[in-house]
This record gives sequence, C-alpha cells and structure tokens, in this order.
Amino acid sequence: MSRHREDDYEEEEDDEEIEEEEDDDYRRRTGGRKRGRSDFIDDAAIEDDDDEEYKDEEDEDEEPYGGRGQKHRKRGSEFFDLEAQVDSDDEEEEEEEAEDDFINDAGTDLPDESGGRRAHRPLNMMPEDQEDVEEMERQVYERYAKSSHIEYGEDATEVEQQALLPSVKDPKLWMVKCAIGRERETAICLMQKFIDRPDLQIRSVVALDHLKNYIYVEADKEAHVKEACKGMRTIYSSAKVMLVPIKEMTDVLSVESKTIEISRDTWVRMKLGIYKGDLAKVVDVDNVRQKVTVKLIPRIDLQHLANKLENRDVVKKKAFVPPPRFFNIDEAREMHIRVERRRDKDTGEYFEMVENMMFKDGFLYKTVSMKSIRSQNIQPTFDELDKFRKPGGDGDDDGDADMASLSTLISNRKKGHFMKGDAVVVVRGDLKNLKGWVEKVEEDTVHVKPEMAGLPKTLAFNEKELCKYFKLGDHVKVVSGVQEGATGMVVKVDGHVLIISSDTTKEDIRVFADNVVKSSEVTSGITKMGDYELQDLVLLFNMSFGVIIRVESEAFQVLKGVPDRPEVVLVKLREIKSKLEKRTNAQDNRKNIVSVKDIVRVLEGPCKGKQGPVQHIHRGILFIHDRHHLEHAGFICVKAQSCIVVGGDNVKHGGDKFDARFGLRPSSPYLQSPRRPPRGPMDRGGRDNRVGGRGNDALVGRTIKIRSGPFKGYRGRVVEVTGSFVRIELDSQMKIVAVKRDDISDTPGSATPFREPSRYGFGSETPMHPSRTPLHPYQTPMRDAGATPIHDGMRTPMRNRAWAPMSPPRDHWEDANPASWAGTPQYQPGTPARSYEAPTPGSGWANTPGGNYSDAGTPGESSPTYGNAPSPYLPSTPGMQPMTPNSANYLPGTPGGQPMTPGNIGLDILSPAMGVDNEGNWFFPDVLVNVMRPGEVPCVAVVREVLMDGSCKVALGTTGDGDVITAHPADMEAVRPRKSDKIKIMNGALRGITGKLIGIDGADGIVKMDDTYEVKILDMNILAKLAV
Amino acid sequence: MFFHITLERNMQLHPRHFGPHLRDKLVAKLMKDVEGTCSGRHGFVVAITSVEDIGKGLIREGTGFVTFPVKYQCVVFRPFKGEILEAVVTMVNKMGFFAEAGPVQIFVSNHLIPDDMEFQSEDVSNYTTSDGSVKIQKDSEVRLKIIGTRVDATEIFSIGTIKDDFLGVINDPGAAS
Repeated sequence: MSRHREDDYEEEEDDEEIEEEEDDDYRRRTGGRKRGRSDFIDDAAIEDDDDEEYKDEEDEDEEPYGGRGQKHRKRGSEFFDLEAQVDSDDEEEEEEEAEDDFINDAGTDLPDESGGRRAHRPLNMMPEDQEDVEEMERQVYERYAKSSHIEYGEDATEVEQQALLPSVKDPKLWMVKCAIGRERETAICLMQKFIDRPDLQIRSVVALDHLKNYIYVEADKEAHVKEACKGMRTIYSSAKVMLVPIKEMTDVLSVESKTIEISRDTWVRMKLGIYKGDLAKVVDVDNVRQKVTVKLIPRIDLQHLANKLENRDVVKKKAFVPPPRFFNIDEAREMHIRVERRRDKDTGEYFEMVENMMFKDGFLYKTVSMKSIRSQNIQPTFDELDKFRKPGGDGDDDGDADMASLSTLISNRKKGHFMKGDAVVVVRGDLKNLKGWVEKVEEDTVHVKPEMAGLPKTLAFNEKELCKYFKLGDHVKVVSGVQEGATGMVVKVDGHVLIISSDTTKEDIRVFADNVVKSSEVTSGITKMGDYELQDLVLLFNMSFGVIIRVESEAFQVLKGVPDRPEVVLVKLREIKSKLEKRTNAQDNRKNIVSVKDIVRVLEGPCKGKQGPVQHIHRGILFIHDRHHLEHAGFICVKAQSCIVVGGDNVKHGGDKFDARFGLRPSSPYLQSPRRPPRGPMDRGGRDNRVGGRGNDALVGRTIKIRSGPFKGYRGRVVEVTGSFVRIELDSQMKIVAVKRDDISDTPGSATPFREPSRYGFGSETPMHPSRTPLHPYQTPMRDAGATPIHDGMRTPMRNRAWAPMSPPRDHWEDANPASWAGTPQYQPGTPARSYEAPTPGSGWANTPGGNYSDAGTPGESSPTYGNAPSPYLPSTPGMQPMTPNSANYLPGTPGGQPMTPGNIGLDILSPAMGVDNEGNWFFPDVLVNVMRPGEVPCVAVVREVLMDGSCKVALGTTGDGDVITAHPADMEAVRPRKSDKIKIMNGALRGITGKLIGIDGADGIVKMDDTYEVKILDMNILAKLAV
Repeated sequence: MFFHITLERNMQLHPRHFGPHLRDKLVAKLMKDVEGTCSGRHGFVVAITSVEDIGKGLIREGTGFVTFPVKYQCVVFRPFKGEILEAVVTMVNKMGFFAEAGPVQIFVSNHLIPDDMEFQSEDVSNYTTSDGSVKIQKDSEVRLKIIGTRVDATEIFSIGTIKDDFLGVINDPGAAS
C-alpha cells in the first residue's frame, strides 16, 4: 500500500527516468522473460512509470487474496514485466480493478486520484485468481498480448479524464446506514465477507472519515447491496439503501481540502458554547486524540459559580453570557471558591484549578476537540489582540503576541496577495528587513527586486516571508479588516502595523500593512449599516436621540442630543429604534426660525464661535456640522437658543430692526425679484377677473413651498407665473424650476411657520380694519383672522390684490410708523407683509394697532403669530392670547360662520386651486391630525374644537382620549386618510362634508359623500381622516 | 516650492466689456478667476505676474461671448514630499496639529511630533516638551517637513513631520506674549 502511494507520487516527478525505463523494457523484451526478481525489484524501487505502477499494484493486490509466497510474487512480477510492454486499455482496467480491490481492503484510503477512473472496471470478478493464479496469469497474458501497446500515462488530457467519469453503464454507488462510529469496521467486515463469499456481487466498500453513520457500497443493483449487508451486525437490517446520483459519485471520493494543520500559537476561534466566536490561542495540540488546548479569556460568572459550588439556589441557566474577563484568584477566593494550585504533569506548569477549569495568568486553558474550533481565516482585531496581551501588562508577552499575530496574519492572507510593483519587506529568514519591489509572482513564490545594491537582480521568496511595506506619507486605502474602506496617509510604520491618519476624521487608524493598498481615493470607510447611515439622526431606545458620527463594524458611534457637553455613545444596530426624518424647526436666540441647512453660529457654550449648516433639528436641539470641527466627525450639538442664524435668507430676521426702519429689506421679495409682467392666460378662475391684471404679481416674488412633484419640499421664490406653471427660484439650489401651480403652496410649510405666517398674518388681517370700522368684529374678518397662521397662500394674494391698488408705497408707510415698531423688534419680520398689504390709511394703523402691537409684544409671547392674528379684533385682551386665543370660539365649520363670510365661500367656489393647499385647510372637530410641536415628539390627536385664530384644541391619542392641548395650526397636519377611511372635506365647496374614501388615484381621492351618496374626485390634500 | 510658470487659459468675456478697455477687463477677469485656485498639477496659483499673449477672440454663436486664449505667467506654489516648509499652527488637538503655509494646510500627527512632546489640554491646547522649554500652540511658527500630499480638485492637503533634526518651533509669538 505504502509503496503504491509512493510510486504514485514519484511517478509524477520522475520524467527523465522514463527513457531509461523504456530501455529496460526493451532489454526485458529482447532478453527474455526470465529475469531475476531482484532485478525487477530494483527497477520497481527506482523507476516509475505507468507500467511499474500497475505492476506494483497488481503485485500487492495479490497478497491479500492469494496469500502467495515469494514464488508467486516473482512470477507475478514477471508477468507484469510483460504487461509493461503491452499496456492497453484493458490492462488499465485490470489494474484499476486490482487497485480498487486493494483499496477496498484498506477501506478508508480510497480517496485518491484513481477515484474517477475506477468506473471502467469490467464485470469480471476476483474469484478466479484466487482459484488458480497460474490460470489467471495465462489468461491475462493472453488478453494483453493481443492488445497493442498504447502510451498512456500522466499526460492524459482533460478530455480523457472526463471520459473516465462514471456513466449510467457503470456500477452505482449506494449509501448504507450503519452504526455510528463503526464505519470502518463495517467496511472491513464487508471486505472479509466478500473474500469469504465469492458470490457477493458488490464491488467495493468505502468508509469515509468525515462521514459518520454511513458507508458507501459500490454495486450494480440495490439487491446486491442488500445481500451483502444481510446479517451484518453493524448495519441495521431496516436501513434504507440510498443511491448516490451519478453526478455526485465523484464528489464522494474526491479529496477534501487538505486538513488544516493547527499548530501552537495560532489564533483560532471557538465554534460552540458560550465562547462561541471568541478568539483563542492554541497552546497545545494533540493530533492523536484530535484535541487542542486553547487559551481563552474566561467568561465566568463568579457569583454563579460560587452559588453552584455551595449548592445554593442554583438558578436555572440564564440566557446571559458573562462578558470576557480575566480570572482573578483573589476575587474568586473572596467568593469562597476553592482554588487549587496544581502542576500539570506534562508541561510542569502550574495552573489554578477551579471546578475542573484550568487558569493561568487569568486565562482559561481549555482542552477542546479540534472540531470545535475554527482555524481558517482568523483575522484577530486589534482590540482582541490587545486584550490578549493584558495580563500584568508585561512587555515580554507583547512581542510574542505580536509575532504570533503576524504569523497568523500571514497564514491567513488571501491568494494573489502581492502584485507587481508592491513594495515589500522580508520579515523572516536570512534576508530579514530587506526591502524591495515585487517583480513577479508565481504561486507561492514571489520574485523581488531588492532595494539594496550589490544583490542579484531578483530574489525569490516564499510568499510567507514577505510583508507589504509602506513608507511614511503614503496614501493608502484599507482593503480588509474592521476599518475596511477607510483611506488615509501613513503617519507611522511600526513593523507590519501601520498608523494611518484618516482623510476625513484625521483620526489614527491602526491597521496591518497587509490590509492596505496604495490608493489615491478618499473615502471615510463604511458609511452604512442596516437602514442607518452616517450622519443620520436616530432615536435610541431610551428616548434619547443623536447623530451617527461613525459606523463601526458592529456598532455606531452616536453623538447624543445633549447640548453643552458632547456625549458620544456606542450603540448596536438593534439599540436604535428608528431614524428621525421629520423635518422640524426651532427658534434661535433671536427667535428666528432655524431650519435644516440654515447656517448658524453658536453664541454660547463650549462650542462658541463655531459655525456651520444645521444638519438636524430635534426637540429644539440643533446638530451643526462644522467642517473645521475635528471631533465627532464635525458635529456639534447645541440648543437652538444658543445659536443665531447667519447668512442666507435668514439675515432678515437677525437684522430686521435696522432694515425695517430704513426700508432696506434686502430679502424682501419685492426688492429682490424683478417684477415681471404677467404672462400667459389668466387661468386662475374668478380671482383674476375680480382683481384685475395686476393680480399675477402677487405670487411673483413670493416665497413659497413646493408641495408635490419632483421638487416637493423645496422652498423658493416665485420668479414668474406662466400659465399653469410657476417658475420658482429654489432657495437651496441655484436653479429656477418650473412647477405646476397646483404643486405649490404659497404659505411656506411647517418648516418656516414663523417667517411666513407673520407676513401673511398681517395680510389677512388687513381686511379686518375696514370691518372693524363698522364694529363688526365677528364677521368676515374673523374667519380670516382665524385662518391667519395657516392661511393658504392662494387666498392671501387675492386679498393683496384687492388691496394693493390702494396701498401706499411701503417705505412710506414704514417711515410713518417707526415709533410703533421700535419697541418690538421681534415683530418686524412681519413688516414686509404688512408693507404691501397694509391698505388702510395710516391713521387707522397708527392709533389702534400700534397699541395692539406693543401689547401683543408682551414678553410672554412665544410666537408672534399668536399675537398678531388675534390682536386686531381683541385689542383689549392681548394677554390671554398666546395660549387661550379668544374665548369667542369660532368654529369655521359651523353654519354660522359660513353664511357670514360670503366672500370666502365665493372664493372657494370660484377658485378651486385654493382648496388644494394643505396648509390652508381648515381643521374640523373630530379630524385626526398629527401634532408636531417644536421640541416634542409628533403625536396623533383628534381635533376637539377649532378656536378663533385657527388654533385647535386637540385631544391626544388616536381616539382622542389623551390630554387636551391647544395646538397651533402650523404644528398640525391632517392625517392622510387611507382607502375606506371616513373622511371630512376640509376645503373647497364641499367643506365640512363627511364621506368615505373609496379609492385613491395618485393625488386625487375618490370620495363617496355620506349624505348624498355622490361620488366625487377630490384632491387628497383637502381630505382629512376622521377619528373613529 | 514656488514656480514661475507660463499657463494658458481660454477666457470668456461678456460682450458688454467690448470696448477700449477690453484688455484690462480681460486681465482683471483672469486674475479674479485664476488667482487663489488650485490644480493638482501645478498647485496653487499665487499671483499672475504678466500676461504674455492674448490670442484672437472667437465669438461664440448664440451667446455673444468671446473666447480669448490667454497666455500668462504666474507664480504657483506646490508642496512636495520631502520639502521643508515654515508654517503657522492653526489648530492643536490630541491627534496632532494643523499648520498653514500659505494656502496649504498641513497636518502633523502626534506620531510625527517628537516623542518628548506631550499634548496638554489646557485652555490653549498645546504640545509641550517635558521640561516645558518648547511649546507648540496656535499661532506658533514651525518648520516642518512634508511627508505626504493629497491633491484634491480644489485643495492640496499635506501631512508633515517635525520629528527630525532642525525641525520644530522657530518662533512663538504666543509664548512671548
């Protein structure tokens, strides 16, 4: 057997000897058959080719069967000598058979390259040769003599190999279940049986080491297998015999990947138990018993152990896995755990023994089966290696661990690791520390052009002796490991460990030289994990929130939303509850509205003076991204109140006092936007007709928000109105886009409730003045007033138009009223609106409203909108307005309201476009809304009551059983109904009518009215879901 | 390193500038467009010293703009690996410090600061030697060696070291005051 194998191998190596061999053959042929055995054996030992191989095998295979002595052997060999001359297919088959049979004996040694070839064996069986070797010899001789000699050997091509694969004509392979652990025994028994009973029709039996509980039997029919298995102790009679599909036959016998050599000091990972996935270091290997002793950082719950030892209430095993911690004897003793000190008899080392667990230097030494560890592709992280170095922080161990990690690293690296041109350094051997460049790579051998002069041009090294080499200042990219994807410049080279200064964070990254490649790319490493990405605002489990500032392999670094003091936490993916994507806004130090992307400057706190765009706003806390801030990926977390908005269109808020007074309002839409003559058809319904040609201008220059379409959510200034399209200059992009009129809302959305509402607030108030004059405070104006804050833009401009002809020049007006403004700077943002909408004679304003404003401007006011809207008609009670606006509750839906405001109704009917506006919708009692108040989590609520100024009393909760609060309309948003929800129409001619949504078609909803059973198609935006 | 080189550029000029001062306008526009920019190949354009040649303008159809090929001489600044520079420290943190040499920002990692200098996070964070004789803080002037550069489209970023002979603080206005 062993010889056979040897020959097999040698055969491949020895090419040159073949010729010699042929000479021999020739000699033998010519010189006669009777050659001495010794001669032959010599040949056999030295020379190898096919013939030899065959001969050898035949030779050997005879032994078990025939048990023949020297004489036979000799003759047999002579025969094979002959055979050598008459090599042929037949002979090949014969040989195969022999070999197989032989292997059959050995059972497990079958898996070798002959596996594929075996299939060609003819049916003839052994028995004859047992009976009469001489006879057989003769037969075989005859058979081979007549076949021509074919050169056959190693150079068999791929195609020939393919031809050897089993086909349908070949015997089949059957899988038979046997007693576990008795596979080999079963195979041997079957072999014996086969020898004893020549009538057995099986061909081979295979027991594979890696396959427990089964053996393979080769036979033509299932019955043959059954027959052979009958009476076998280790094979269950009931066992089913399974056929191995032809395609899989070769797999059964092909050799698996080479067994992995586990040697000392290699890093492995545990596969099972509480240590699953833990890094361990091999300290001892027992190949015979297939056991290894590994060194681990113990995960032991001492308390639990103590309890167990004392038989105290042994709690049922918890799911909790103790964290890895070094074992401390003193601690254990304190807990009354008996620690024995024992000497290991093999190594002579001392171990602390606790409950059959061996500890040394705090490590747990554990003997485990080789199967329970993983030794391939172990990439220990730096953290893990650091931990392993720990005990006592002894310096000696360091180098040791380092070397070990190096060896592991090298053994685990991928194929094709080196490429031409790579700078490498020799890490072991005589030429250690020699640097050079890779010239050529062949398999494991790397040809290196050495850096040093006086050496040969290229030197060949084994791949394992080399390590990549980088110089200071090289720009590299990490291609594997934890930091994969990061790029940076090398700032320190420490053996095979590099320290890289990351491009984006300027942080140090420690990586193995082998894990990086030179690159000019600039990236920040991984930026995404799960649904969360770098810079996302996320809600954490304990209701705190923060921005992801770094994505690590398994966790995120989150800068928590705690102002004044940066707090970074490491959170796992599962600890993140959700992404916060709701765009909210906050008020800065001067009560300017801060929205996302605005640039703000920090006025106080540790980050004072920093400046940058707002990335996220949540509960009044801003996350600012300052490129020049190096910590926390440039993120700064501050309270909105400690910032001020700078630049952009927000300037007007900050600097209003001055600007307003002098009428220099750079951001005033009218100054900024060139007026353009209205173009296109007047398609805006009755309004234009009523108002006249100038009407178009009202929209031009206005800051609006785009409500739907591809630019949904953008804000911008209207540049031009063209038919049904509006051209809008976006605030956020240097771009003018055309948007359908229907897609815009001219009251800016919730993003800027402050700025815009105030403007419109004034506008819509305007009509009140005339109405106030006749002392009908509760009539028409009231509605408008109530609507003010949420007032839909379409309506406002109309008023403007109505009034515009009369309105005095703005500057004029402002100059006339400086006194009333001076004291209340926070109201001035509102002035621009007033400027073009204030139609009334200056005197009217100067008297009453002036007073109103100062009253309304009481410090208690949080939002000017509150003050502005109600004040004109409730001049005497400004104090109560912010929170409890107007006791004369005016419900817009009530019949009383509508008849009184014919203008509005007329409007609604005449201008369908008007109803489209979401922000302009009226809320009705029982409508379900989302309440989003700055600084609070959005929640669903039911409108209970609509107050005069448009605010609503809402009851929290989907059924309205929560607290009742008063919500500002800008903070509310109707819950978008779904199909078959009960709805209420919030705007348009059918306002206030209830129905059922029976379908949704894009932006339109198909509604079936409750009372008329009519089916109408209405814009989804004017539909509100009713509370159940 | 500074270079005085000749570069070429196609300038587009608005028709409204056509007139007696066309050339001046063009040069002014060139200066505005080019000075202070950075290209990976040449580095930062510090100043235009002269305009060598202005070619024939080509009127572009439709717009009326005229394209002139302009040849000009300019001083460029490009940092090189291994170059020694003097720079002003702009920021100090535990990872190292940033310094600026004109338009170039240079980062000196703490690994590239002599080992005897330690980071001190006082109110003005700095790196100080153990005996306190040398201090690197904001506005200190240092001499450093560039060990690597990264060239982006609009920026050249370098990594430098002061861990070498004759490198380090050369003048410290902050400490004197």
